[in-house]
Amino acid sequence: MHNISWESVEHTLDECIKCNICTAYCPVSAVTDRFPGPKYVGPQAQRFRDIGQHESPDASVDYCSGCRVCNDVCPTGVNIAEINARARAEIVDKRGISLRNRLLGRNETIGMLGNIAPTVANFALHNPLSRILAEKVMGIAKEAPLPRWSENGSLREWLQRTTRKRLRAPKKVVYFHGCATQYYEPFVGKAAIAVLEHHGYEVIVPPQNCCGLPMLSNGEFEAARGYHQRNVATLSSFARGGFPIIGTSTSCTLTLKEEAPELLDMRDEASEELVHGTWDIFEWLRELHEQGELRTDFRPLAMVLPYHAPCQQRAHRIGKPALEILDLIPELDLRESRARCCGIAGTYGYKTEKYQIAMDVGEELFSFVREQGPDLQYTACDSETCRWQLEHGTDIASRHPIEFLAAAYGLYDLDKRALL
Amino acid sequence: MIDLLVIGAGLTGLTAAIRAAQAGLTVRVISQGVGSQLWGAGTIDLLGYLPDHTPVQMPLVAREQLPPEHPLRQVDAATIDKALASVQDWLAAEGFAYVGADQGANLWLPSAVGAKRPTYIAPSTQAAARLDDPAPLHIVGFDRLRDFYPTLLADNLRRQGHDARAHMLPLDLITQRHDANNVHLAQEFEEPARFDALVGSLRYVIKPGERIAFPAILGLAKHAQLVADLQSAIGAPIAEIPTLPPSVPGFRLHNALSHQLEKAGGRVETNMKPLEFGTEKSKSEKDNITWVATATSARPRRHYAHAYLLATGGFLGGGFNTDHTGRSWETVFNLSLTLPRHRDQWFRPEFLDPAGHALFQGGVQVNHAWQPVDAQGKLVYGNLWAAGNLLAHADAIRSRSHEALAIVTAAAAVEAILVQHQPAISAGSATSSRT
Repeated sequence: MHNISWESVEHTLDECIKCNICTAYCPVSAVTDRFPGPKYVGPQAQRFRDIGQHESPDASVDYCSGCRVCNDVCPTGVNIAEINARARAEIVDKRGISLRNRLLGRNETIGMLGNIAPTVANFALHNPLSRILAEKVMGIAKEAPLPRWSENGSLREWLQRTTRKRLRAPKKVVYFHGCATQYYEPFVGKAAIAVLEHHGYEVIVPPQNCCGLPMLSNGEFEAARGYHQRNVATLSSFARGGFPIIGTSTSCTLTLKEEAPELLDMRDEASEELVHGTWDIFEWLRELHEQGELRTDFRPLAMVLPYHAPCQQRAHRIGKPALEILDLIPELDLRESRARCCGIAGTYGYKTEKYQIAMDVGEELFSFVREQGPDLQYTACDSETCRWQLEHGTDIASRHPIEFLAAAYGLYDLDKRALL
Repeated sequence: MIDLLVIGAGLTGLTAAIRAAQAGLTVRVISQGVGSQLWGAGTIDLLGYLPDHTPVQMPLVAREQLPPEHPLRQVDAATIDKALASVQDWLAAEGFAYVGADQGANLWLPSAVGAKRPTYIAPSTQAAARLDDPAPLHIVGFDRLRDFYPTLLADNLRRQGHDARAHMLPLDLITQRHDANNVHLAQEFEEPARFDALVGSLRYVIKPGERIAFPAILGLAKHAQLVADLQSAIGAPIAEIPTLPPSVPGFRLHNALSHQLEKAGGRVETNMKPLEFGTEKSKSEKDNITWVATATSARPRRHYAHAYLLATGGFLGGGFNTDHTGRSWETVFNLSLTLPRHRDQWFRPEFLDPAGHALFQGGVQVNHAWQPVDAQGKLVYGNLWAAGNLLAHADAIRSRSHEALAIVTAAAAVEAILVQHQPAISAGSATSSRT
């Protein structure tokens, strides 16, 4: 136990001048008293979390959703969200973890189990009775937007079926699909693979683990370490060989690049190779575009499309490449959301005690979407849990930006979410 | 490639970017954090005190008494007027009226502790508390609201000869929150129920002829309408007094200017920490900056531009740093600063010494075209400009010239940039113009 490293945030702590700008912008403390604000539970409480301290002084840190808006707005560069993530892990370390949070951290296992009989699993999870039960027994909010297992098989099953149809080419990239694409939304992976192949790249999909983010955000650092170590073992050799590792789940790519090595203090050579080899898919497509190699054989997509760059995407600090690339599609009327957060923050909004907070936080985004007109077909967002929350809050279908790009290349049916 | 990369999203960076975008340049602003507006009062100070601490009544006249090397002496009065007037226009377009005193005089407004504070242009709600107006000020505060004490404020005002009294209301009246952040309160005040509760409790305590001054938490985007409604509901002039940070007037100012920039076609990217930069020899034998790289979750991201404007501010804004040996430097391009080499010369023994401190008088030295020069007066980079509170010889906090210094030097620097970078020139050479 207890090897949470504070090294990389301790020095940023002293940069805090207590100006409270983080609290002024924090979307969670704006809607609830249960979270007093990033300054209080972050740099301020940190001064009382000395090694050997019996109890952490402030359990309200558990109400931090980890959206990182505080990091974004802090004028002096304090890594507040990372301080909070560690403080939560220390609490878990000392007091243990609830069955619910343990379960929510195990997205990969849950995905795998449900995939054995997805129809049964969907019924078991989504019927009203079991949702009430899950709320009463587990503390998973009965209204929360939980995903449905793909009833047409997982992404890897599709890859096996279509192996002879897949492009073989000298130019190769590695695709990191993440658990949600593997088990719930294989069509996002299919769209990504189709776009990459459209550019003449062979797509390698090596064995891979959950990135570990659900565990990191529920304070289970040691279990997350195991996942990350296995990903480093299987993926870093590709990075070393010069193959970019491209992901569609922006929270997974963020975890591989920064969250896991940072929070777990894993800075060995192989981890660093993975850091530098990993790309968010639109980040990589923008590179392609800047080198003049992005194909522009677009069909027009005549629609108004609200685009929300989710917190995890913004935490990459790469600008909004999806916006830049989608902007090339003729007749697509993009509307950029400046809402701070959709509220869901991974597994945060699934929890009974946090469900309403998440909905209140999300209202800023939901009302932005509603303001864009009455006949919207879709919204766009790079993160799966945020898309589910967006659909839950607006009743409008949400898609990954790569689905729109694939559709604009004539490769994908946006409505049926299937390759053409 | 874009035409102009502005580094810093404070008043200098935002107003420079708006001007450049309006002139047709493609502009990106990168910043670490949201800019320092939330630390200020949301007013536009031009010149409050001369270096010998004489209070200034007519800043544009008194400007002639500043040392010749002062940045505000490098521009003429018409340029200052024009630069400030355009910012007033942008803010008015966003629904925020900013007003000055008559005939170019300073406005004297109460601070959060009731001191007299000189400023040049202020939000009309703050200007409503001007101290040359003999109408009594009725200061209304809220218990549990930190750092705003109406009794202290009124006492201090009376001590200076102004008619003032204080009234404390329960914070529960305007919020059910346990804790009160100014920005959250301002947000909540936009709800009709909060407004009605406040009006109901004030009707009976107001005397005829009084002005009612609140801590500056009266709404965010709907501020102007709320104040007008409050005024007619209560039947007395309504004023705001700025609070300690986070400053709601600063928040409004920042949002309004950010929105103006978006409308002009520019954008701000936050959480961009500059790491390194590239240079190349240009035709004029002077090095040019080719890119500035910022930290991302993995590899540094390079921002390519034809021209670069440094607007990172001084120590507080993060533009300068020092170490224990007395070395000081500018943090993005490692420019040298006009600071004493030895630490024992940075400060005078007394914190409030009227002569100020050498540490705050130093900064980046620029030439007549607002381009950084070295200690020998030679241009450092051919395509780098600098403006705002990082400029040497300004001592903006002590002279009360923070905001106008930012706005005026930003305008002058953009003029200088436009001499070299006309929008048409870059259009042909762009490799990937959409950024």
